[in-house]
Amino acid sequence: MESSERKLTGVTIKEAASKGENKAEAKVKREAKAKSKPLQEFQEATQTLANPALQDWKKQGGKVIGCYCSYVPEEVITAAGFVPFRMRGTGSTSTELADACLSSINCSFSRHSLDMGLRGEYSFLDGVVWVNSCDHVRRIYDHWKRKIVTPYLHFLSLPKKTTDVQVGWYRDEITTFKESLEKHFGTPITEERLWEAIRLHNETRRLQRQLYELRKRKSPPITGAETLAVMVAGSAMPREHYNQLLKKLLDELGRAYGHANYRARLMLIGGILDDPAYIEVIESQGGLVVTDSLCYGSRIMWKDVNEKASDAITALARYYIAERPHCPRMFDRQLDRSAFVMDMIRQFKVDGVISERLMFCDNWTGEAFMVGEDLKEKGIPYIRLDREYILTGVGQLRTRIQAFLETMER
Amino acid sequence: MDKKEITQKELGLERYYQERDWFNFLCQMLAQDPSETSQLSKEITEITVARYDEIIRCAEEGKPFIMGYFCAAPEIYEAMDLPWYMIMATPFLAASAPYLLEDIDAAERMGLGTDWCTACRLTLYYIEAGLTPKPNALIALIHPCDAATMLHQGVYRNKRWRDVPIFAMDPPYFEDQRGIDYYARELKRMVAFLEKHTGRKLDIDRLREICQESNKQYELWLEYAQLRRAVPCPHGWAVGGPQCFAITQVFQAGRPRGTAWMRKLVDHTERMVKEKKGPVAKERIRYFWFDLLPFGWVFEFLPWLEEEWGAVMVMDMFGYTPYTLIDTRNEDTMLKGIAKRNLYESPMVRQARGIADYFASDITRVVKDYKIDCVIWPGHMGHKDGSASTGIMREVCRDLGVPYIHIGLDLFDKRYTTPEQCKDKISQFFTAMGLG
Repeated sequence: MESSERKLTGVTIKEAASKGENKAEAKVKREAKAKSKPLQEFQEATQTLANPALQDWKKQGGKVIGCYCSYVPEEVITAAGFVPFRMRGTGSTSTELADACLSSINCSFSRHSLDMGLRGEYSFLDGVVWVNSCDHVRRIYDHWKRKIVTPYLHFLSLPKKTTDVQVGWYRDEITTFKESLEKHFGTPITEERLWEAIRLHNETRRLQRQLYELRKRKSPPITGAETLAVMVAGSAMPREHYNQLLKKLLDELGRAYGHANYRARLMLIGGILDDPAYIEVIESQGGLVVTDSLCYGSRIMWKDVNEKASDAITALARYYIAERPHCPRMFDRQLDRSAFVMDMIRQFKVDGVISERLMFCDNWTGEAFMVGEDLKEKGIPYIRLDREYILTGVGQLRTRIQAFLETMER
Repeated sequence: MDKKEITQKELGLERYYQERDWFNFLCQMLAQDPSETSQLSKEITEITVARYDEIIRCAEEGKPFIMGYFCAAPEIYEAMDLPWYMIMATPFLAASAPYLLEDIDAAERMGLGTDWCTACRLTLYYIEAGLTPKPNALIALIHPCDAATMLHQGVYRNKRWRDVPIFAMDPPYFEDQRGIDYYARELKRMVAFLEKHTGRKLDIDRLREICQESNKQYELWLEYAQLRRAVPCPHGWAVGGPQCFAITQVFQAGRPRGTAWMRKLVDHTERMVKEKKGPVAKERIRYFWFDLLPFGWVFEFLPWLEEEWGAVMVMDMFGYTPYTLIDTRNEDTMLKGIAKRNLYESPMVRQARGIADYFASDITRVVKDYKIDCVIWPGHMGHKDGSASTGIMREVCRDLGVPYIHIGLDLFDKRYTTPEQCKDKISQFFTAMGLG
């Protein structure tokens, strides 16, 4: 097989022909996916901060609130009539301004993201919200409030345990957040609006899970890199628009050919990976990423907020603290997290697991070690990769992936 | 391997014996020097040995003991008469022991990376390698940093330790009454947990006695801290804050022997101040070391600062004393007082757990109160949140007109930035700033 054919460009014409389709028909179907408008829009949205849909929203007078972690209860922002936007460092090329605030032992996501804030790249935001997600990101707040003028800043104290006591604490935090948004923007956030937002966000989650369902196929119709683009775009667009686009994409993918000529089915675990190009490098070597446990992946949509709960804020608190798949920062859930990875491996028929970690991330140092020990016990191939936020060292990454696939005898 | 060695290994006491012997050796060394400061150090080293002996005895005889922490309510362990040890004992207490670098390398080989706090890596290594005695119950720490949270999850995950009951208090992020009340309730849950798993009961009158005695210790510490404002500073790095901290929060919380030691320290320091004596013949630079001491290589660096530059560590992070006394009227006031002390006032937890404002306000207060000539932020490789606050610290120092340096080192592993490299950096800094 030629090397170009080994890359994940979809089913080969030869294979399609063997299934009884003529070359021309197969080519048309493959090109249709390549030209998929929804997918293109998602991909474009990952390559910039203020994507066209967001710009249109702003032009119409809409407000956008930045969120520095998937534990920020975005539904409250949606209920206020605003767009929640996950903070990134997309497009950043240097960290000179941030380096005067942070240090070389802080992760490159925090440095790039803060740098963009300091350069005014986030001036389209009407507010920014944090939780104490990790030692690096929580300090961005301390610098932001001192150096960057943004109309609204808020910080929620996020527990590190997941019992009912912590659900109660976070419920109060979310209430304070809601009241603060209402007061600052003069927008009432009623119970009804909260439930509407919860339903809307749950719809996103259901659609995203449908996308993941397609990846369980023997020949998944979407690559890992494309999936990440879809997921990242979901954190950067007006929600209704995103859901519409995603429905269209699902419809297209339901009819599309899948990727059959991969060497191994891979699971990617880690933190804040928002650059599909990273996965493209992995997939260029023939590994197909079929599932994940990532901040922009399954962890944010594997469960829904309970729509039958008695009140919306309690439902949100329970979802974020107790029910959703957890980040390593949550103390008492390591065994659950490991079980989640094992379950994903089983459901998606994963051949090997790749852990990606931003350098200096303590949460993922510990987690990668612990999950690695669990995988070792079960004889599941596993590799740990460190990376910088901006894609660098592509050659080295390729080599390590090649070696990993070879050790799996793939 | 003889029977005694087998028992040591089974009980995870191998390093414990080594460390106890190491401290005994230090006691003998200190006994050679009759000076008052050496005798103060000798007594505190003896206190340390006594704690090691107590834990070894418990492990060998099957008596209950727990793993706990400073800043995790040692007052309560004392009131429950629970022998306890700190899981990070080796990096915090015995980092100058000869096997430390070997153990750091072993931790790296185990897959714990190189940029995770060395204290946490070492500790998890000791658990995985069976070099830590297994307690009857474990109080975990999930603040002030990510590394601590991950360490204790790693401990819990370890199969040999999975049957050890574990409890952690959840730390609120901001300092306010709501946070104190929340943490006090967490402490109450901790008491219930300890009662369940150790069979010991918390007697409120006993807790009151401990808190009252502990308050005396903090009053004496405050008195001592005031004396350190004198010029010249009566003590340098070798005596002071870290020992007061060890007494009040680790080895002698609320115990009369600790109070007596503190009184001796104050008496001695008063004499030093009256006689205008300090650790160096001529004090030329008064610096604020804003972190733990470089325990792994302290003797290769801090004496040099005094000898070469006449630079005296007037204050350090662990010597800083923002403590308020505990109101001992009833259980509620005591738990809230303990919550405040442990969550918002204890060093490192105070600065690193929440927003960065404490880094700024503590520098401001120390610089003003202690006539500080420069602030040194060592920048331990594990202190990510602190290093992420370096810009704030620098700006505060600029506003105060006091030079600031961020070194970038590993407090435990001298190979990260060698003592010689640190000396170079400091010398260049002092020279450029016209100090000394």
